[in-house]
Amino acid sequence: MATRLKEVDAVIVGLGWTGGIMAAELTKAGMKVVALERGADRGTTDDYTVPNIRDELRYVHRHDLMQNTARDTITVRNNPSQEALPMRRLGSFLPGDGVGGSGVHWSGVTWRWTDQEFNVRTMYEERYGKKFIPEDMTIQDWGISYAELEPYYEKFEYTAAVSGKAGNLKGVIQPGGNPFEAPRARDYALPPLKTIHASQMFNDAAIKQGYHPFPIPCANASQAYTNPDGQKFGACQYCGFCQRFGCEANAKGSPHVAVIPVARRSPNFELRTHAWVTRVMKDPSGKRVTGVQYTNLLNGEEYEQPANMVLLTAYAINNVHLMLLSGIGEPYDPVSQKGVIGKNYCYQTGVNANLFFDGKNFNPFMAAGGSRFAMDDFNTNWDFDRGPHGFVGGFTLSAGFNTSLPIGNRPVPSGTPPWGTGWKAALVKNYQQFMNINSSGSVMANRYNCFDLDPTYKNAFGQPLMRMTFDYKANEQKMGTLAAKLVNDLAKSMNPTSFNPARARESWTVVPYQSTHNTGGTIMGVNPKVSAVNKYLQNWDYHNLFVIGANVFPHNNSYNPTGPVGALAYWTADAIINKYQKNPGALVSA
Amino acid sequence: MKTLIQGLVAVALVNGGAAFAQDATRGEKLFNECAACHSPDRAAKDTVGPSLHGVVGRKAGEGTEFRYSPAMKRSGITWSSDTLNSFISDPQKLVPGNRMPYSGLPEAKDRADLIAYLQATMK
Repeated sequence: MATRLKEVDAVIVGLGWTGGIMAAELTKAGMKVVALERGADRGTTDDYTVPNIRDELRYVHRHDLMQNTARDTITVRNNPSQEALPMRRLGSFLPGDGVGGSGVHWSGVTWRWTDQEFNVRTMYEERYGKKFIPEDMTIQDWGISYAELEPYYEKFEYTAAVSGKAGNLKGVIQPGGNPFEAPRARDYALPPLKTIHASQMFNDAAIKQGYHPFPIPCANASQAYTNPDGQKFGACQYCGFCQRFGCEANAKGSPHVAVIPVARRSPNFELRTHAWVTRVMKDPSGKRVTGVQYTNLLNGEEYEQPANMVLLTAYAINNVHLMLLSGIGEPYDPVSQKGVIGKNYCYQTGVNANLFFDGKNFNPFMAAGGSRFAMDDFNTNWDFDRGPHGFVGGFTLSAGFNTSLPIGNRPVPSGTPPWGTGWKAALVKNYQQFMNINSSGSVMANRYNCFDLDPTYKNAFGQPLMRMTFDYKANEQKMGTLAAKLVNDLAKSMNPTSFNPARARESWTVVPYQSTHNTGGTIMGVNPKVSAVNKYLQNWDYHNLFVIGANVFPHNNSYNPTGPVGALAYWTADAIINKYQKNPGALVSA
Repeated sequence: MKTLIQGLVAVALVNGGAAFAQDATRGEKLFNECAACHSPDRAAKDTVGPSLHGVVGRKAGEGTEFRYSPAMKRSGITWSSDTLNSFISDPQKLVPGNRMPYSGLPEAKDRADLIAYLQATMK
């Protein structure tokens, strides 16, 4: 029998970026908030200092900061005709676990998604006609505009210490920035990071081809910084252990540095770690949720935490899972195309080329999470004509180093023996001489790519695992073919001694690591028939339930998702404090 | 030049703080470089790095509850304006193997002002 606890104003499920932002903002507004985090309480002082850092075995191979798949995982298949099998070991993506969530081990890349995403169906139909969008491509407008989100993007960038170079300040194009970005009111919080040699070479080659490269905007503080909430950041030391590691210099914009301490200083806030939420509790009226049920992982005891408002702020996949487990909304069925929960799961695609230059010393071990340069000529550049190529969406090209692991990163030219003396010699020769150019591509929603509950496999709590059905479709394959050609052309123009060319991905597999950019499942929109939440990320059915994260994206862009995830969290916090609290109920009428 | 500035700092320390007030104020701003990990307050707890309240005159690796690195404990250094200046200019050079993730403050004037500020926190 679960122990019933005292009611609070809001319960937060998962304390990463979105949970941390909600906790900081709602406690500032005087609300009593309890955060339930399934993992441990971690911080820089005890966990991200020597001797607990720079350990590839612990963090990269044993996934020390990631979800424990022995407790809960997902089952995976490529299409509805297959039987899904459980992912026993993390591979393609790495959901975080513990205070700070995936915001601890991310690289910090922070983009602003534009109206080209938010109005995707309208813009493509207007320019290319309705027939250009394939029938099985279930893309839809998001119901929000860039202009609405702009101040919240800025708030997130200034909170997370984003370093970068503006490309469009109030409509005026800025040299050295991204000329295709949407207009911004202010420059980034900090100037760009130092440029490493590989990024400089890519920059020069791209300019020669007539492209518009720029330093990637990234939440790695290029200088010591204090954010608007008074949180202090150190300057990035270019240690080379960014992605998958906590930051020892407090230079990475992570929730445990940027926002969670703000909440923790408030008497209105309580954090309970090792608290695994199994269900959202519903009022029989069908209009309100009443709190959540959770298990204390340390002793197995069950609790009910009643709350006036429930905020699902776990990893995107887990937010969708909780909705399905709680029976909220109608589960999506890819065959009949009825229901919404689980709909429009998207991932990303990409290609990669390795370039080898005899005599160069790139020092790949010295870099920040944001040491790369990128270009948007085939992405947010709407002048790039998709017509002849026949795909919707776009891709960035980028180069440089982020976390070039000293042990795990073993670049050798094609044709090198896979083991033995020849392999060792090639590795020693090429470690210093290699760089890569890669492309990250969008994935448009497809009716067959979705989540539902697995009929066979269960987690440690006896609940059905989440089932993921996903594969790349013709749209991604066409885009990948063009991206590979452009990457290879650019690589050749740099005259490497040799290079391993980029190839388009055909089908998705759960290994190796690709990106932790899973989106969709409880998508936002203007119509409750085809979306789970409104523009304020408020559930259409239960007005005191907000579902916050990349799970609300109706499709996926080539950009990393955390920029709009952070901006939408601030936008939702603002709506809760200034609209919902004053007049609880649906913020948008259905 | 380096020796000259160290000399000036030493003279200033002997002569008292008044003439250095301006520099310590600038040093307080420069302390932002350090503030993500160190506190200048007397009552502050150690966080990522040890509290630097009253660091001048302290023996390296002692004086707070902080878990210092073996390298720092073994260094045998007593923190003076001179040793701090040398440490802050290149932390791994003076104490190889210490665990502070900071590559150093290159400008001698910045270091002098920062040290003047650290000196002032003792009052």
